Amino acid sequence: MVLNIRNSSKLIVLVLVLISAFGCKSHKKAMEASKASEEKAKIEREAAEQKLKAEEQARQAAEDKARWEAEQRQKESESKASTPAVKLGQYFNAIANSGNVTSANTSINEALTLFASPATPVLIVISDSGGMKDYDKPTTIKDYLNYLKDQKKNINSISSLKTDGEGKITELELKKN
Amino acid sequence: MFKINYKYSLLFVLSLAVTSTLTAQSDDVSPERKQAIDSLALEKVRDLSKYISIIGNKKTAFSEATRVMDRAEELFAPGSEMGVSSLDRKEVNYYKVRKYFERLMALNYDRVNIKWYDIHYISDLEKQPDGRYVGVVTIYQRFEGESDDGLKYKDTTKKDITIYVERKKTQIQGRIIEFWDVLLGDIRVTETSK
Repeated sequence: MVLNIRNSSKLIVLVLVLISAFGCKSHKKAMEASKASEEKAKIEREAAEQKLKAEEQARQAAEDKARWEAEQRQKESESKASTPAVKLGQYFNAIANSGNVTSANTSINEALTLFASPATPVLIVISDSGGMKDYDKPTTIKDYLNYLKDQKKNINSISSLKTDGEGKITELELKKN
Repeated sequence: MFKINYKYSLLFVLSLAVTSTLTAQSDDVSPERKQAIDSLALEKVRDLSKYISIIGNKKTAFSEATRVMDRAEELFAPGSEMGVSSLDRKEVNYYKVRKYFERLMALNYDRVNIKWYDIHYISDLEKQPDGRYVGVVTIYQRFEGESDDGLKYKDTTKKDITIYVERKKTQIQGRIIEFWDVLLGDIRVTETSK
């Protein structure tokens, strides 16, 4: 009987040892799993952060590019607005649409400062068919500006112009619209 | 001798034929170009209409009217005349264009309004044997003159304008430019009504 009890105790101890051993092992496994999970979460968090950072950088780069392009467009537009052709086109409109002779004459005098001389030739293309240009009778810029004032119509567009070393227009070619 | 003469004559005739063919080719004007020339000539008539309106307008300063007269005169072939009619007389008087402009400027009204309308070709520009193109444009002119003392005159006149278009050359800064010179000829009165 005593032997049985002793054997039973040993068995219990053995079972307990085994349970304890298994318990430790599963705890260790659980710890390892938890650690792996944390590691995975960390990696995912870092990846998300990196993704966010990359997106932010891309957004910043896109904004910088858009700003640069806008600045370039502005510069180009300002540069175009100050070319003799654009200025002259504005004077043509101002003279043709002028409400009175005095203001038209003021615009004429201002426009003439763009030219090397009031006698600068003006050619007007009436047809450009099959590579052959047909011209109206050539005139001078002074007469042409007065023509705009008298006729109150600006029916010719600037086709090309030549300038001298000082940037003054020495020849103007217009084209009938 | 006869053989040599015959050979040279044949060569001469052939070269003439080739030259005239080349000339004819260079003178050919495509329908697109012809249309541009037609439009150019009509534009000159419209320009004259505006000049006449400025010269007749009593608000136009003398210096401006004189300058405009010069520009208007440039539109005409030398010696061209303008017909002037009146509801008060049967005959039509003709004046050189400069004289007509001066008389127009000196009209004894306080307000003058002249308007041209319905400007169109009645005879298309046709090439003449001398190389010029000639056509006729008709216009209607509404004239209204009024004085502060109550004097009023109004009429509508139908006028025919002969148009001459000629190919010319000029030198611009060392470059030969060929252009179409449009000149207006006589302006004949064909109808006058109230």
